[in-house]
Amino acid sequence: MAKEERYDVIIVGAGHNGTTTAAYLAKCGLSVLVLEERPEGGGAQETVEPIAGVRIQPHAIGNYGGSAPGWEQLELWKYGFRMDYDPRYEVPFDTERGPMTREGTLQVAEEDQMGWAKITGLLGEPMFHKELLRATFWTPPHPSYIENDENTIPYMQVFKQYSPDLWTKELLEYTMFDFLDQHIKSEAFKVFQAYIANVSGAFGHFPGVAVPAVECVATVLPPAVAKPVASRGNMHGYYHALFRCAVANGATIRTCCPVEEIIIEHGRAVGVRLRDDATLGNKTIYANKAVISGAHIKPTFLKLIGPKHLDAGFLQKIKDLSLKGGSLYMTHFLTKEQLRYREQYKWPSHESFNGGFYCMENMEIYWKNLECVLGRQSNLDIPPDEAMWGMVGQTNYAESQPQCTREGYYVNGPLWMMVPTPEYNVDGTLAMDNGPADKEKWDQYMVKTLSCIVENADSDNIVKIWSDSPWGQEFRNTGMLGGSWYGTRCDRDEWWNERPTQELARYRVPDIEGLYLCHQSAAHPGGLCLMAVGYNLMHILIEDGICEPGPWWYESPWYIPEEGKISAKPGQGRV
Amino acid sequence: MMEFKGYQHPQSYFPEFPPESEWDVIIIGAGPNGLIAAAYLAKAGLKVALIERRYEIGGGLATEEILFPGYYSNIHAIYHMMVDYMPVLQDFDLGRHGLVWIKPNLQASMVFENGESLLLTRMIEDTADSISKFSIKDAQTFSRTMGRWRTIIREILAPATFIPPMLPIEITMALQKTDVGQELLELVEQSPLDIVTNLFENDKVRAMLLYNICMWGLDPRETGVGLFVALYLDRMMNKCYCQGGSHKMANSLGREIVQAGGVILDSSQVNNIIMEGGKAVGVDLWEGRTLRAKAIISTLDPQTTFVDLVGGENLPVSLKESVEGWKYDKWSLNTLHVVSEEQPKYLPKDQWASESFMTIFGFEGMDQMLEHWDNVVAGKLDTSIMGGHATCESFWDTHLVRVPPDRAHRQVSFFQHHAPYNLEGGWEQKGPEIEEAILQKWAKYAPNMKKENIVMTNQETPVDIEIRFPNMRYGSIKHGDYKPIQLGCFRPNQECSGNATPIPGLYTGGASNYPGGCVLGGSGYLVANKVAEDLGVTKWWKPTKEMEKYTKTYLEG
Ligand SMILES: Cc1cc2nc3c(=O)[nH]c(=O)nc-3n(C[C@H](O)[C@H](O)[C@H](O)COP(=O)(O)OP(=O)(O)OC[C@H]3O[C@@H](n4cnc5c(N)ncnc54)[C@H](O)[C@@H]3O)c2cc1C
Ligand SMILES: Cc1cc2nc3c(=O)[nH]c(=O)nc-3n(C[C@H](O)[C@H](O)[C@H](O)COP(=O)(O)OP(=O)(O)OC[C@H]3O[C@@H](n4cnc5c(N)ncnc54)[C@H](O)[C@@H]3O)c2cc1C
Repeated sequence: MAKEERYDVIIVGAGHNGTTTAAYLAKCGLSVLVLEERPEGGGAQETVEPIAGVRIQPHAIGNYGGSAPGWEQLELWKYGFRMDYDPRYEVPFDTERGPMTREGTLQVAEEDQMGWAKITGLLGEPMFHKELLRATFWTPPHPSYIENDENTIPYMQVFKQYSPDLWTKELLEYTMFDFLDQHIKSEAFKVFQAYIANVSGAFGHFPGVAVPAVECVATVLPPAVAKPVASRGNMHGYYHALFRCAVANGATIRTCCPVEEIIIEHGRAVGVRLRDDATLGNKTIYANKAVISGAHIKPTFLKLIGPKHLDAGFLQKIKDLSLKGGSLYMTHFLTKEQLRYREQYKWPSHESFNGGFYCMENMEIYWKNLECVLGRQSNLDIPPDEAMWGMVGQTNYAESQPQCTREGYYVNGPLWMMVPTPEYNVDGTLAMDNGPADKEKWDQYMVKTLSCIVENADSDNIVKIWSDSPWGQEFRNTGMLGGSWYGTRCDRDEWWNERPTQELARYRVPDIEGLYLCHQSAAHPGGLCLMAVGYNLMHILIEDGICEPGPWWYESPWYIPEEGKISAKPGQGRV
Repeated sequence: MMEFKGYQHPQSYFPEFPPESEWDVIIIGAGPNGLIAAAYLAKAGLKVALIERRYEIGGGLATEEILFPGYYSNIHAIYHMMVDYMPVLQDFDLGRHGLVWIKPNLQASMVFENGESLLLTRMIEDTADSISKFSIKDAQTFSRTMGRWRTIIREILAPATFIPPMLPIEITMALQKTDVGQELLELVEQSPLDIVTNLFENDKVRAMLLYNICMWGLDPRETGVGLFVALYLDRMMNKCYCQGGSHKMANSLGREIVQAGGVILDSSQVNNIIMEGGKAVGVDLWEGRTLRAKAIISTLDPQTTFVDLVGGENLPVSLKESVEGWKYDKWSLNTLHVVSEEQPKYLPKDQWASESFMTIFGFEGMDQMLEHWDNVVAGKLDTSIMGGHATCESFWDTHLVRVPPDRAHRQVSFFQHHAPYNLEGGWEQKGPEIEEAILQKWAKYAPNMKKENIVMTNQETPVDIEIRFPNMRYGSIKHGDYKPIQLGCFRPNQECSGNATPIPGLYTGGASNYPGGCVLGGSGYLVANKVAEDLGVTKWWKPTKEMEKYTKTYLEG
């Protein structure tokens, strides 16, 4: 029972990023062990069937990862990966639905669509859409001694090469709104795009992250994804393919194995100790080459490693990382009749309800929402008809992948709405999740706001509501501190070469050898299931001689090897 | 001048699993049997595709967050009775995936209104001690009988579970070879009720034993199923809990399959089995993909496999008749899953009664129990005499509760009882009433299960079972009833009980095949053996020690 166990690499947490990293490393031939605390891996890529025949998606819904090198490198199709429609089909240019305002659904003007197509690399020959996405997300931050400017930042290099008219130094100071102002007229359309950015990674009004914000949106719109849904089996199906890729390449993945300590000896991470109730006899396991934390950065340093090995200055920086803005209240509605749009939201090509983005109207409403969530950080007090949210409808899924097989019922959702992060909520951590009466209150709020666009969201029709508050999410899924879906937000000070802090930006931990970080909260590019953290981290692990990938590997074209390390560019050796 | 070209992109963004593919073996359904078959065959070097309709593999091995958000339950199998004998657990090292079994000594308790209790334990004498409070004679009978039955199970019934079925006459001849065999033969012809009433005198003792014996759907008055009395009682004293939830077993097997090169396609429904020239050659999935193979194994119930997937028109007459005459389980289960502020504390002073793996309550004696079962068969439920069993899952498993610290003391339990699929009045209508009655009954036997302590409930009715698993037709947890003409070499019929079917290329190996339902690891193992033999691959595994001894003693010479 207590036989010593050793692996080349131990990864803490089988979320999206821990699993991607495991798949890459196993494919390099390393012996890899992944330890997951929950009964099921996947972290926030999960599906639940709370009553027979009804599937809900408490967390991730859309597959933003279309441009990942991982599809080619890890060959997920071999492990059963499928989308639930044919991703190769042609999507007509006019987006099927525009933003919804209090008046109705807005038809996006052709010139605005062209403006959007231009900044996301869809115009011209060749299109540079995928290059732009890869340069934004799928490339590791540069070594610390490289100046980050308009000539070195990867997405700037892409603009420079493919669309020099967009390449200006100011772009690096812009907010997404500033960028959109130059190419798009409709205020509602801009607010709509900015809101998608807010719930996809970077904020519309943050200076310095204009392009990342635009790209967060671009990666979930055609052609990167033809419908705003995920893979067959939903996001958990995508996880299954990743997980099976890791396992097929020899990785060991164990659930119900909470890691309580990352063992540091003589400045080196040498293994982990599991909690006493882990489903395993042996509670201490050793790593020959590396321990990689796929758990949130705060518990990683504050608990798993702890002040025993770290100084107060460093710990303070970790404590200060911002969870703000990432907390979403997720709601699903079970109904007896299919939901129906009110007259002004009906769309000729869409008879049936398929969700949408509501109250994407003007800057005033935008600020009203953000001031509450980010500024005052108090419980929502926005009138329901001015609340901003997005929602997926059942018709977004393929017919052969029904979300509801319970005859006579329909499941609608999730409806996701930004709410204050519980840890910072001035009304208290339990403010939006304080027992059944509270749930009822917020359920009713969601029903009211949904009713702005739906005519039959009434108590006769709605049979059941499942809601998942950020506070609940934090504990259902320990990756999501504060329920924050991106872990740490992507503002100027926590993005790219500053993510999560300058000294940690290349996934290494100063003064602790053999320790690396791969949780979204600790690594560029942050949230979303992009297989990006794993890919980016690979560059660093190759540099440190931890792994040597086979001919299937290719590095990011914008990657700059660190001096004195082994280059991740095959065949280059030490630089 | 830039020109807009539409959203067409030269590169495909998502490379996908191909629309058409070739395999050695296709397995339909990733329940315990499909998983086991796939694991053996993939490791034998065959190219295996395992296809599952749900988004999660496991079939009856399902640990899911149905008390949403934050609480996991074992919504189907939780009591694992064959852990001691299943070849799959000996042939594969599933422990390396973190599979851990817990076999408590306190297997079951039965509690009564007046605060009395009876225990069924792994250690025979602990049960006998408990019975002695009611009848010293019964206690002694129990000690002596169980000792002998244990031998019967170890030497005959357990190993036979994993060996192809024989005709009744062959069995009789084989069993006559030993004393143990002869003792078993004496049991066979009796009904469960006869056996229990002949052996034991005290009504409560009888009730407790009969409940455990018939819990999985034996008809108490049916003759010819006596061997199951010994089998179930012994196995109900040896149930295991899978730490982290039953799904862990599914996941461990899934990893073995994938590591051996097998592919698992979940969220994929097989719509039909492709027939060419009278042979089964492949399957069509609802999503439009086609897979072809040399052998196709269905683990679904006979009507789904043969009528829906193969098509009635493709069946030989005799097969068609037997499939159409297939009888689904005569009763199903209704389960009320509950989150409560505290672990249920039952009336008895004896704290063991509250700490056993399973707690039976609601029946004060055997007559009530029989009446309840008669009601169920007749499509009725009289909640005043209804009983069942409960388990506090989180007492055994800390991993099932994932909630904020102020709620972390909460417990997940369920109460389960036999119930008709076709309930008079319908489940939709009657469900809430029944839920209310269960909670009242629970609070009567475990006073702290009062309203204020109940946080959340979720009732899974027989109809819900069928919605989750259409192959569990009419809520049939075993894919078909246990009656002599649907058991042994007649399960599902004489033509298919050896796992091959009259349709070349098509095999069956789910709960509707010998040895039957529950997580026995039987039919999946047997169909893997058969397919390996037919495809001419070397078996990398050998029969277990018990199987070898059984074969030598009873089947050879
Ligand atoms: C409401 C919501 C909606 C979202 N929508 C989308 C979307 O539409 N599209 C999209 O791409 N992304 C979406 N996301 C974001 C996406 O799900 C996350 O970015 C991604 O899952 C993060 O992966 P991760 O591996 O970094 O972290 P996590 O998913 O948090 O995984 C961390 C894992 O580590 C485990 N763990 C933590 N501590 C320990 C320990 N001590 N020992 C062992 N294991 C441990 C956790 O249990 C968890 O499984 C959404 C997220 C949320 C919350
Ligand atoms: C409420 C309940 C409690 C139970 N408790 C226990 C217990 O405690 N102990 C015990 O041993 N047993 C228990 N059982 C019984 C046990 O779960 C089953 O007998 C066992 O799971 C049968 O295994 P199987 O592999 O033959 O089939 P299943 O487990 O039924 O698996 C069949 C699989 O096929 C899939 N499928 C169906 N149609 C298609 C299709 N067209 N295409 C592809 N896939 C398809 C299904 O989704 C399913 O996953 C319980 C069952 C229920 C319902």
